[in-house]
This record gives sequence, C-alpha cells and structure tokens, in this order.
Amino acid sequence: MSGGVDSSLTAALLKEQGHEVVGVYMKNWTQDLPGMRCPWAEDLADAKRVAVQLGIDFRVFDFETEYRDKVVQYMIDEYKRGHTPNPDIMCNQEVKFTLFLETALEQGADAIATGHYAATKEGKLLQAADTNKDQTYFLYRVSGKALASTLFPLGEYTKPEVRAMAEERGLYTAGKKDSQGICFVGQIGIREFLSQYVETKPGDIVDIQSEKIVGKHDGAIFYTLGQRHGLDVGGGLPYYVVSKDMDKNIVYVTTNLNDESLWQTQLTLASVHWINDAPNENQTYQVRIRHRAPLVDCTVRGNTITLSEAQRAVTPGQSAVMYDGAICLGGGIVV
Amino acid sequence: MLGALIYLDHAAATPLDEKVLAAMQPYFSDAFFNPSSPYAAAIEVRKKYESAKATLAATFGAKADEVVITAGATESINLAIHSSSGHIVTSSIEHHAVLAAAAEHDYTLVQPTEKGSITPDAVRAALRPDTTLVSIQLANNELGTIQPLRDIAEMIRDERAKRAEVGNNTPLLLHSDASQGFGHIDVHVARLGVDLLTLNAGKMYGPKAVGLLWAKPGVLLKAQIVGGGQERGLRSGTENVAGVIGFAKAASLADSHRRTEAERLSGLRDTLQAALVEAFPEAIVSGSTKKRLPNFLHISFPGIDGERLVFMLETKGICVATGSACAANKGTRSHVLTAIGLAPEVADGSLRITLGRLTTAGQIDRAIQEISSAVSAEQSRMNLS
Repeated sequence: MSGGVDSSLTAALLKEQGHEVVGVYMKNWTQDLPGMRCPWAEDLADAKRVAVQLGIDFRVFDFETEYRDKVVQYMIDEYKRGHTPNPDIMCNQEVKFTLFLETALEQGADAIATGHYAATKEGKLLQAADTNKDQTYFLYRVSGKALASTLFPLGEYTKPEVRAMAEERGLYTAGKKDSQGICFVGQIGIREFLSQYVETKPGDIVDIQSEKIVGKHDGAIFYTLGQRHGLDVGGGLPYYVVSKDMDKNIVYVTTNLNDESLWQTQLTLASVHWINDAPNENQTYQVRIRHRAPLVDCTVRGNTITLSEAQRAVTPGQSAVMYDGAICLGGGIVV
Repeated sequence: MLGALIYLDHAAATPLDEKVLAAMQPYFSDAFFNPSSPYAAAIEVRKKYESAKATLAATFGAKADEVVITAGATESINLAIHSSSGHIVTSSIEHHAVLAAAAEHDYTLVQPTEKGSITPDAVRAALRPDTTLVSIQLANNELGTIQPLRDIAEMIRDERAKRAEVGNNTPLLLHSDASQGFGHIDVHVARLGVDLLTLNAGKMYGPKAVGLLWAKPGVLLKAQIVGGGQERGLRSGTENVAGVIGFAKAASLADSHRRTEAERLSGLRDTLQAALVEAFPEAIVSGSTKKRLPNFLHISFPGIDGERLVFMLETKGICVATGSACAANKGTRSHVLTAIGLAPEVADGSLRITLGRLTTAGQIDRAIQEISSAVSAEQSRMNLS
C-alpha cells in the first residue's frame, strides 16, 4: 500500500473477496531533493489510515538500501552511459516482485497483490481492461513464477471506475492525486535528481548534417533521443536529438524529422527476458517501444526485433516489450 | 469554534483565544506602522508594543527590557543555548530544539528517573568545572512531568558558591524551556530561580510563531539574528507588534485563569484516567502522577499500535497524539519514552491526551467511550483480549 488510491482500493477489494489481508508499505526512498520534499511519511500515514479503516494488519518493509543499490544506482549508471533507463521496470523486477514477494512469503503470505493495472492468468501476464492505464510495459521483467503468486485486482477496472469505487467505500485516499513519473523523483525533474549524483559539464549541440555548433547543452546525459523540447537552440526549424557522444560530451541534432538515424525498423535487445516461453521466430507479434506507445507488428529472431513499419526515436535504455494479443510475453532493453 | 471536534492535543497547539484575536486585530491593518518610524502614529505603536512587553514580562515576574521577543520557543532556545561558550548540561527528555542546539556544543545529557523526573543530584553529577549552562524544561512535553526546577536552581546556587571558593569564576546559568506549563502552574522567574526562561505564545492560546527569551540582568546573550538592531540588538527584524500584543493578552488571561483552570482540568483528566485504567487494567500511565501538569495524560495500551488508535479516533472527530512512534515523526520511537525505559511494545501503544480551555465534561465522556471502543476493537482484532 503506497498511500495512493490504487493500492488502497486493491486492499479493500481483496478484503471484500474474503481474503485475509495484510497491508504493507514499502519504504524505498525517504530523501528530500532540492526543491522537492519527499512525501513518504504522509504516504505511509495515508496507507496506514486506509489499513485502519479496513481493519487489516499493516506492516512496513524497509527496502531503502536495496532500492538505492538496485534501482537508483542502475538508473544513474545508465544515464552516465548515455541511455535513458526506466527505473520503474527495474523497481518491479528487483524490489516489488522479488524482495517484496520473498519477504511476504517468508512472513506467511500465500500471495501478494499490487494496485497495478494488469492481469494474470496461470502465471501469464495480461494487459489490463483499461488500455490507457495498462501497466504491463513496466511488468515485463517479472518472472512467471512470481506472477503465479500475484494478484492484480484492478486489472478489470478503468481508472475512473477505481476512483469511483474508492469514493463509494469512503476510502481516505479516494480523492488523492496520483503520483507522477518516476516513483521517488515525483514532481521534480529527472535533471535535478541526476545533478545530485552525476557531475555534468556544458557541451556543444552539433547539427549532424552541417557539423556546425548550433547551441550549448548543460550535460549530454540530460538529453533523450528524439527529444525536441528543451534544446537551447535559437530560431528556425525545430531540432531533434539524433545521437549523443558521451565521451566527447556532444549532443547531435537535426532539423530533418525524416533523418534516417531517427527512424528504425530493427531493434537489438540486451537483457532479454521472457515471462514464460520464448516467442516463435516465424510468428507475428506486437511490440511497444515506450509506455503508451502504439503496438506495432513485429517478428523476433534471437535478440533482434524486426518492425513492420519504422519507428521514430527508439531510445537506448528504454524497453521493447512484446505482446501476443493481450498476453505480455516479455522483452528486452534497446541497445 | 472547533465545531463537533473534540480536540485533546493542547500540548501541540492551542486555539487562539477570541480576546487575544480582538486585541491583535487593529495591529494588522489600522496600526500597521513600523515602531521604528519617526512620526506620531508609529510612535504610538511603539508605546503599545513596549507596554505589551511590560505586561507580558510582569506575568512571570520580569521587566520588559529583560525580554527578547523571538519567532517562537525554538528560536528562544537556540538563542539561550548558543549564547553559552562552555560545556552544557541538559536532559535526554528535552524538546528536540534543546537537544539539537546543545548538540552543536560540548554537552552532557542527564537521564531521567523512570517517572520522567530530572533530579538535582543527576544534574549535579553531570556538571564540570567548565559547565556554563544547564538547560532543564519546566515540564515535559510528552509526559507532562513537572521538573523540580527550584531544587535544581538551589543546587546550582550551591555549585556557584563552591566555584567561588576555589576561585573558578566560570559563570553557571540555568535556562528553562517553560513552553509547557505556563497557565497551568506558577511560572515566576525569581521563585523558580532560573537565569534564562523560554516561553511560547502558541502554547497559551496566543499566536503561533511568537516566543520570548527572558534573561536575568547581567546575563550576556549572543545575537543569532543580526540586522537593524531591534530588541536591544539581540534579535533584529521589525517588531511583531500584533504578535506581542497577542502574547501579552494571552499570558495575562492564562495567568488569571490559572488556578481555576488547573483544578477544572485536573478533575477532568483524573476522570479520563480512572475510566481508562478501569476499563483496561493492563494500561500504563507514564510519568509522575504527582508532579504532573493538570491537563496531561500519557497512557499506553501494551501490544496495541497507538497510531492506529489515533487514526480510528480521528474518524470519530477526536484529536489525540500518539505518545511514540508514528509516521509523522518518521517512524522513530519517542526519545522521551526510550529514556524513561518504557519497553518498545508499551511505548508503541501510547497516546498523549492533553486537555485545554475548550475541553468539557461531555467531551471527556465521549472520549472515554470512543477510546475504549477503539482499544477494544484493536484488542479483539489482534486476539489480545
């Protein structure tokens, strides 16, 4: 229970279904950041309030050290390499569906449940009924074994339905605003967060065609492939980031939206993970290259995905997640 | 004013008295002038400010020019402690403001008895030849235990005499944070025998973020906030005229109601305590029950989570504080309860219930019912009963 409306309703539904429920708050991050106070204490209190409302037991699992080592450090390292990682995926893989699951099972639980918008069936991961909220993209690195011990009670509802159901039950958190973006960074920009951990130097923004310096950046790690906004480049056509040279601290841009380096039909994946069995090489599947991106038909051979149509700004460090209809198969990290 | 709410957390904050608000009102708008300005209207405000300070000082036996107005007790405590240049002795059950300020100096913590009392002997044992300040609260803010300040002051006078005999002329001063207690027990600087005294308007039905530090004539303070030289150079910044007018009114009211209010509140508190202890014989009342502020009850229900009780009671319109670990204080167990040796399962099951001017007998009856049913519900949920 994070203190948000989703996990609050999850607990309420489980109780109504007749389960013996124990609410758990995972204490992953408590540090304040410049310009942003970490609201963990309020979130913990809200989670506990709901547990009290439901009359269920409530515990705190302290994973601060593991979260720093396995999620935050991974994220920082990836950015240093010029990639744009997804810490939520890593958090699910390492913390929620490994540490949390193991600790819960050790403490006598039969299964865990979270407020994710997703569904499970016989150890398979399925997309949520609310396709707009579907969170399977963030769950593709979870093992089939973990999923066999997991319940996603919200999978069949839409977000507005969840809010309405929370209100109906008078849950304390029914009207609480959703937290945004990366769980621990919250409202603060990733830029401010990274600045705490990585020394960044200003460098040149270079037009990849003319090879002319067209502007200055304040650290190449802050830029993501395909990014248009936030470039300190004046006048004329909008520039898009096409590549980065981390060693030379150069960000390459183009005004040509059709620049071939922005478009890809083949993706090479690292750290490939299949939830159940590996997909067949001669079958057509669907792939998603970032959260909420449209599904694109594809085929897979080893760690190479071939897209049916070219996609713009496939970002190294982000994940390509494959689907067979409603079933999320797994995927890998774009190289 | 508070509607249907039963507010039983007066140690945390007190509502502004209507008379205090009325006294302050003109100074926000009509009489907004800077007391340092040279024209008649401003000079009138200066006079009102000085006269309020004199009224305020008189409520605890002091004079206006011995008082430094601050933005609250935390600032007063910082000013008192950071004015000290030598070793500091304080207790492990002080407010965090004292503990954190003292931690920036060479300091020694005195441990309380299991009743939450700081004995003169314990303080004496911690003194060193280079100790310059002893800081002991008038009453503990979690337990309500009243400290034997007069006896500690007497012991300090003896120590000063001993120092003089051996030719040690290091000054030794006694500061007391009297934020909890004013309006409930006698607070008079000469009778207490202190050299420095901190008070807080926000705990006596006055405005928040207004406090004072009284220093005996001859005691040197080191300004922590410098600038225009207000408050005799000891606390710069344009005077908080409305705040001080309100503080003076609040202190006068608290002082004049003290005896009747203390009697009334201790009666209600005793009723509450007796009913809860009768319903739950395993309950533990912490701190001295003899030397205790009349409005305080610190009670623990072993094995129960005090914070769950607070959340259950808030849905019934009752505000009480947890006596210990809660999310609000970031999950750390109360340093006071740890210091008096309360077992963790007892400390975690505690409530701090503090009564005040708006508390009625009817409210106490409701509180008894609701607290009892919350504790019973938790006990049966956990199969404790």
